[in-house]
Amino acid sequence: MPGLTSESDVLAMVPVSPESEKQPLVNYPLRHGLKSAIHRLSFSWACGNTLRVSVFRKPPSEKADGDGEAGGTVVEVKLSNSGDEEVDAARWRRMAYTSVTPFALLQSRKHSLSAASRMSLDIPPYKAEWWEHVIEYSKEISSLLTDRKPPPKSIIEDPKSVVNAIAAPMCLKAAWELLEIFYVDKQSQSWIPERLLDWLADYNSLFSGTLPTIHSKLVDFQQELVGVQVVEEDPNYWDAMSSALAVGWLETVVKLLRLHGSYRFDQLSSRETENGLVEAVAVLISKMPRMRPSLREDNLGECYQTKPDFMKAWEKWRTQISKLDCSSYWLQCDHRQTREGLKNLIQILLGNPTVLSNATFNWMELFISHFLYIRPFTAGLESMHNSAQKCMQVKPVSISHKLFGLILGILGENTEVVLAECSRSFGPWMMVHAVELLTAGSTHAEILLHEEHSKLGGVSIEELHRLIYAQVLSSHALTWQIAPIYLTSCIKQGIGLLENLLYKQPVQHSQILLKSIEICRLYELDTINSNIMRIAGVHHWKHGRKGSGVFWLQQARDEFRLNRIAKQLFDFVGKSVSDEGFKQWEGLIELLGSESRTAGGLEFLNKYRDFRRSLLQVHGATPTDAARNAAEALVSLMKNPSTPQRFWLPLLYDSLKLLMWQERPLVNVSQTQFLLNKLQELSMARLRPDFVEADLPSDALSSVRLALATNLGRAILEE
Amino acid sequence: MAVLTSSSQNLQVHRFPQDHYIDSLRWLPQLSAFHRNIILAAFDSETSTSSLQILSSSNSSSNPPELTFQSSLTTPSRISSLTTSQNPNKLLIAASTFSGSLLLYTADLVNGSLEFVDSVAEKGFHLGRVNGIDVSENGSEFVSVGEDGRINWVSFVGGGLSTKKVFDSNGLVSYGAVKWASPVEFVSSGLGFGLQWWDQRRPGGPVSQFKANWTRGTTSGIVHSIDIHPSRKHTCLAGGSSGTVFAWDLRWQQQPIMLSGVGTSDLSALSPSESDVWEVQYDNYTASSNYRNMSESRVLPAMICSEDGILAVIEQGEEPVELLAEPCAINSFDIDRQNPSDIVCSLEWESIAILTRS
Repeated sequence: MPGLTSESDVLAMVPVSPESEKQPLVNYPLRHGLKSAIHRLSFSWACGNTLRVSVFRKPPSEKADGDGEAGGTVVEVKLSNSGDEEVDAARWRRMAYTSVTPFALLQSRKHSLSAASRMSLDIPPYKAEWWEHVIEYSKEISSLLTDRKPPPKSIIEDPKSVVNAIAAPMCLKAAWELLEIFYVDKQSQSWIPERLLDWLADYNSLFSGTLPTIHSKLVDFQQELVGVQVVEEDPNYWDAMSSALAVGWLETVVKLLRLHGSYRFDQLSSRETENGLVEAVAVLISKMPRMRPSLREDNLGECYQTKPDFMKAWEKWRTQISKLDCSSYWLQCDHRQTREGLKNLIQILLGNPTVLSNATFNWMELFISHFLYIRPFTAGLESMHNSAQKCMQVKPVSISHKLFGLILGILGENTEVVLAECSRSFGPWMMVHAVELLTAGSTHAEILLHEEHSKLGGVSIEELHRLIYAQVLSSHALTWQIAPIYLTSCIKQGIGLLENLLYKQPVQHSQILLKSIEICRLYELDTINSNIMRIAGVHHWKHGRKGSGVFWLQQARDEFRLNRIAKQLFDFVGKSVSDEGFKQWEGLIELLGSESRTAGGLEFLNKYRDFRRSLLQVHGATPTDAARNAAEALVSLMKNPSTPQRFWLPLLYDSLKLLMWQERPLVNVSQTQFLLNKLQELSMARLRPDFVEADLPSDALSSVRLALATNLGRAILEE
Repeated sequence: MAVLTSSSQNLQVHRFPQDHYIDSLRWLPQLSAFHRNIILAAFDSETSTSSLQILSSSNSSSNPPELTFQSSLTTPSRISSLTTSQNPNKLLIAASTFSGSLLLYTADLVNGSLEFVDSVAEKGFHLGRVNGIDVSENGSEFVSVGEDGRINWVSFVGGGLSTKKVFDSNGLVSYGAVKWASPVEFVSSGLGFGLQWWDQRRPGGPVSQFKANWTRGTTSGIVHSIDIHPSRKHTCLAGGSSGTVFAWDLRWQQQPIMLSGVGTSDLSALSPSESDVWEVQYDNYTASSNYRNMSESRVLPAMICSEDGILAVIEQGEEPVELLAEPCAINSFDIDRQNPSDIVCSLEWESIAILTRS
């Protein structure tokens, strides 16, 4: 076994996964503190991500007497994530919390809609309504993936800042937006290329870590820019602009163009033509026609909503560019870099494939540039997919980014690939929430996800992912209580797993116990509810909290256990009944209540207390009526089957004064005979080995018998 | 951040996500008009550590308030209940723990720092969780109750703590919450909607007990929180299971004054919540307008927070006013004593909400 050869008292655990080539190995040191050699290790799962490792030392040999060390020890190892996740644990929990409400709302809307439409959501008016709900859901989930606060915008804009330093975007959000673009947002179907362009502008920085990107290029150039005096002589200036232009970051290009030296007052006169050309290119760029309803803040271009309008504008714009390209002013421009650089930008605008390929760094960027300048009228996933394939041939990537796999799956209309990519790269949270987008957006996906699979135990893939996510939630002490929301949306296995989840919660923590009970109430799980209460009752009882134990067993209406513990409780009451110690019992008896609530054998305590009260009030000067009441209480207590046998003699002994009441006998003939029978029964029981002798004077039995006999005689005479 | 407008008053709500669970939280006395501090008992589930933290809240009317972290002290065990004394000379913060101890800290409001003073943790104090703790008006007498059925009186004298056992039920009764009624009297609460009135001049047991017997059926009757108004010391306000809130007046001991709860048919419609009420406090803000006119027999308005995410003000015989309806439980709240329009509450989903009524 690896790791066992070490002499030190620290072992290490190294998880090995099939993908270990990609992910770095993580070491989990085990500080077990044993000095002698380790003989055996045993592993088991503790709560959540915690692994319980039992470390056994070699059993000490017979000869060497104990060195005082324990035979082993148990350590718990928290298997944290490998550390390179973009979402830390607290952030992840926040995501889990905030996605509950949109998810639950969508489910309830789905239910009410399908109830209204009586089967299928495909009937047009319902379908349209359903779309709106899904869009709302998607936007809400998307917004919770955004960081809380946008960085404050500085009032004075730095003219030299070309890259916005926004908070690092999340891959998860990028993936979510992709799904939203392709599956949900039907209104934007006609301008998907423009949405992809925006998407790349937002998330290009995500690829910078693993791939060369335009974003990283611009960031580099931004730093360089601070020290450069004459920008137009720096080849990087022109490269940066052509790259930015290739992926449609028009505002960046125009901003950079305006940094051109010919704009400076001292040079304006001498470089008039040059400046005119720069400005002409800048104006043309900022007037680029865009097939979209509106522009985002700070973006440039002119929007066209319908295809004919856009085509017309596009042709006109292209003609203007060609005209500029052939203009004679170029000959008068004697600044070589400016001339070549601007010509290069014009080539990009004209859609020269070689220039575009040079200006971009990966296939995704090239793909976007093709939309912009080569095939602006691309529509339909198939042609987009073809285009993407071509771009990948031109710019193959050595390391595939997880978002690329997702895009290719979407473009290839391959739901299985999309699901696999989501699951592999983005985990259970993404799966369970994204499934709603997929089923809404594609019939094929809907069939695939809702089909029940016998090899999955009869559940559909949708349900499977909900179950998995619920498992993840259940493994954490703070998120387990939202798992029921996902479990109850699973028709086949959900309730069964919810029962398991509730049974596994530790009852000793009162908050968790009450939470479990609340969940049972919400989902009407009455049997589990009373089982949990019963478990709690027994737990409290075992730990000496008798009151809580009795309370929870009463709540669970568990007469059987109440009767069992009653016996033990009476042992505990024992002889102390008649003395001051009984005061402690008042609280418990108060709790038991006089109502006909389930108290099992404990009911006796209540009656006993009442009897004791009436007995204490009886003394020589008491009117006979009060004494008679006490005697009645005694008889009914003795008749009650729940009165333990061991209390019979003490009860009778305590009531001697009632049996020997001066004025007249308080107990009639039949009652006396009954009491005598009881006494007889008691004498028989004494012969049994398990009989517990009451702690009373040795003559107690005989004096009670005498009193009863006397009373019998008096009663007969009276009657 | 949402700004809600309820029927009768304007309400501003600001939420602040935290990175840990919040067991309890309290306002600390105001230092200046613009800054206030909050003390909270936090529990970090990743490391299983708990701590006391001071957060400072900026309080300007124009900008949304901001919460900034001031200082934190790790506590030896998880906090079950938190209370602060309004002693002007020294600000004391007492916390009871899951492991049966009582911790005493002092806070420096100028620097926003916390300092440990003393603790009681010996075996004879409490066994297991201390459920409730309260500090007397003079700020130096504490009373603690536990699930083990013990009640202890702790005095802070000469810079240290000394304890005296008031009662030990040997586990036959478990207590949940406790509140001082006078320098020698206090009220404890427990299972079965039970309340006990204790008087130190008559030791040996509670001088008066109350147990509600109106709940039959499936509801569990536990009182989670109680409050006593300084101007009406004969009445104890209690909140617990099934949205139940009632007042127990010592002068009419047999019958509680029901304020809310699903167990009673005539009140069900008026109950803002139908699950556990975690905390109750008298709400001086609502009362301030017509406080004087209120008849002696009427129960003063009270604020509650509940398991089903409700923060509401209830008044005898009136429609409750709902201040917040959250998708998760509201575990605790505190009304600022100096500025009762402001409320801070802790949400189950690891966040804090600050409400301002105007």
